[in-house]
Amino acid sequence: MNSPLPAQADRTPTDWNAPAMQKRIARRYAAERRFKLFGLAAVVLSAAFLAFLLATMVSQGWRGFVRTDVALTIDFKAAALPVDRAVLRTPGADLALAGAELENTVKGAAATQFGVGGEDAISEYAWLKVREAIKQDPTNLDRAVRIPVPASTRLDQALRGDGTAEAQALAERLKAAGLVSTGFNADFLRMSDSTDPVAVGIWGALKGSLLTMAITFLIAFPVGVLSAIYLEEYAPRNRWTDLIEVSINNLAAVPSIIFGLLGLAVFLGTWEVMGVRFGPILPRSAALVGGVTLALMIMPVIVIASRNAIKAVPPSIRDAALGIGASPVQVVFHHVLPLAMPGILTGTIIGMARALGETAPLLLIGMRAFIVQPPGGFTDPATVLPVQIFLWSDEVSRGFVEKTSAAILVLLAFLLAMNSLAIYLRNRFETRW
Amino acid sequence: MKRADSLILLLGALALGACDGNSAREIRVVGSSTVYPFTTAVAEAFVNQGGDRRAPVIESIGTGAGLKRFCEGVGWEFPDIANASRRMKKSEFALCEKNGVGEIMEIQIGVDGVALAESNRGPGLKLSKRDVYLALAANPLGRPNAARTWRDVNPALPAIPIQVMGPPATSGTRDALVELVIEPGCEEADPQAKALKAAKDSAPYDLRCKRIRDDGAYIDKGENDNLIVQGLAANPNAVGVFGYSYLEENHDRLVGVPIDGVTPSYAAIADKSYPGARPLFLYVKKRHLRAVPGLADFLKLYTAMWNPKGKLAQRGLIAAPDDVRAAAVREVELRTPMTAEGLH
Repeated sequence: MNSPLPAQADRTPTDWNAPAMQKRIARRYAAERRFKLFGLAAVVLSAAFLAFLLATMVSQGWRGFVRTDVALTIDFKAAALPVDRAVLRTPGADLALAGAELENTVKGAAATQFGVGGEDAISEYAWLKVREAIKQDPTNLDRAVRIPVPASTRLDQALRGDGTAEAQALAERLKAAGLVSTGFNADFLRMSDSTDPVAVGIWGALKGSLLTMAITFLIAFPVGVLSAIYLEEYAPRNRWTDLIEVSINNLAAVPSIIFGLLGLAVFLGTWEVMGVRFGPILPRSAALVGGVTLALMIMPVIVIASRNAIKAVPPSIRDAALGIGASPVQVVFHHVLPLAMPGILTGTIIGMARALGETAPLLLIGMRAFIVQPPGGFTDPATVLPVQIFLWSDEVSRGFVEKTSAAILVLLAFLLAMNSLAIYLRNRFETRW
Repeated sequence: MKRADSLILLLGALALGACDGNSAREIRVVGSSTVYPFTTAVAEAFVNQGGDRRAPVIESIGTGAGLKRFCEGVGWEFPDIANASRRMKKSEFALCEKNGVGEIMEIQIGVDGVALAESNRGPGLKLSKRDVYLALAANPLGRPNAARTWRDVNPALPAIPIQVMGPPATSGTRDALVELVIEPGCEEADPQAKALKAAKDSAPYDLRCKRIRDDGAYIDKGENDNLIVQGLAANPNAVGVFGYSYLEENHDRLVGVPIDGVTPSYAAIADKSYPGARPLFLYVKKRHLRAVPGLADFLKLYTAMWNPKGKLAQRGLIAAPDDVRAAAVREVELRTPMTAEGLH
């Protein structure tokens, strides 16, 4: 102590009512209030950003979930399509109907029914809906049928009052005739990518995301948790384990594009060893290679989170278990792991959420492709939700704007579902001591 | 543990799945983002025709990167078709030969235009190649570009600031802008350009006639052309550079900027009177025609869709002249391979 203690005689009690003291107290309270206000402002600001994002997406994206249909009457009897009725019950029906110029028949029907520019009122894939209707009931070919088919983007926009003069006129005419109906677009959740914004669906990308996430989870979770257990419970503390710890922490901060390059080089590269060429290990653009690459990316996150969770389990629990004769493996699997599970799951879900929203590494391994069909399995070419959003945002046709927002809503819903699952699991496994 | 066993089994099954998934492979296409909308439209029609056809996989990675991957070799892991918004270069052809790709078919699918456009609330600019060169080159006539407004470039133009939104340096569209508009403009404006072009050292010519300024007058909007369209709608004084299909799709918001008196339109690009017209190509490996199911049918469908009234025209493709189309159809039928002749 270098300041001398004040003499006993000088210690008069503090006069809290003195103006100087009152001022100091007021300042303290003001500082307190200010801090609270800043905190509140920060929360309000982030809430406002979130609200703005959601409001924009919902206001633009809800249209992606509705579709306008036009009731089209086609007289198949008059058209007399050259199709063998027997074929319609077989898998060759699609090809037969396509070969019978069904597309032109449908277009012609629209032109005659809706007048000038009528073939522009229906979507390019309207004939596929007609084909489905015929396949369901081949007797349709013997009569005139009224089938609701999707309206084209042009007509759709004109119905909203945002189109060219002739499209507006056509829209008015169809509306007056009562041929237009608007409803929920189930196809958006059922179909895959398309070049026509009316015909696109999110299912292909959603299924691709699900398959990719499954692979990611199956690889990253066991490997990550096992590494964490080994490093925390078994590994000796020495220079090597320190080095490994530092490397894992570094790896968690590596930009995701690097993992894409790694995936490209390792899983899709070719090598020549002693004159024998080794092809790529995994198929390009598939959910399998995407999942493995993303697993490499999120593994460090899982290891770090799991180690922290395992560290947080009180040593007394281990000691007690060892004391009554449990083996180290029994201690880990019966006591430590269950107690650490909430923390491990939280870390895993954070990692999975990151993987779900990741685009950059997947672009490099070919998952940015245009594919009309949903993937049938792990090795089929696939795309994922964020990449689909990226692809649609770059499309020429203006109908894709609302589809992009709708796809973002689906991605958000997927994320929300994953996070809810995490909270549920965490609460279920939560143990107190 | 039992659970661990089942996990290993599952992973093993996945690995096996990876092997037999390649026996009947789908069609794989890589390359230009300009050709992408047309090839995807054909792919969709191909699948919609029915049968149990596997959906073609089309990646848009740019012409240069696409041809590089295309030329890496033959086999299931390499693409069958490359989309290209310019002709294959001599060096790329040599790479293909070196990697044993074998015979390649070169098919011109149509024409595309690099369109200059402005908002329909804009000043109604009328430019010449010379104006564009003097406004956008980094070193017009050998001096750093000091032009701030269009009037600085040409006294006949209004005194509004030069703001041109366009794609980045990696884009084929920007290459085409340089090749089709800026370089000819340079040759018109600069008497030394011809001599420089003929010179052995190409660096001075590139500096004068090919480099685009980077002091903010040319605004790099990234590969997303919709951003340029939005930018033009928000800023009526700006000029945008993109593929003609974007202008076609946004006719209610944008108008084409005439170059040398020719407005970008279907007819003007088809007959090449508009300076920004360039051919679009498909490159196909002949050896894959037999191995990949449906590849020949896919090409046939392409030829059926590229007519002036066909489906691709609705998507903004400008059909090639009749004789070019007829030649291309014959090429697809006879499977005529290309030669290195005439490549640069």
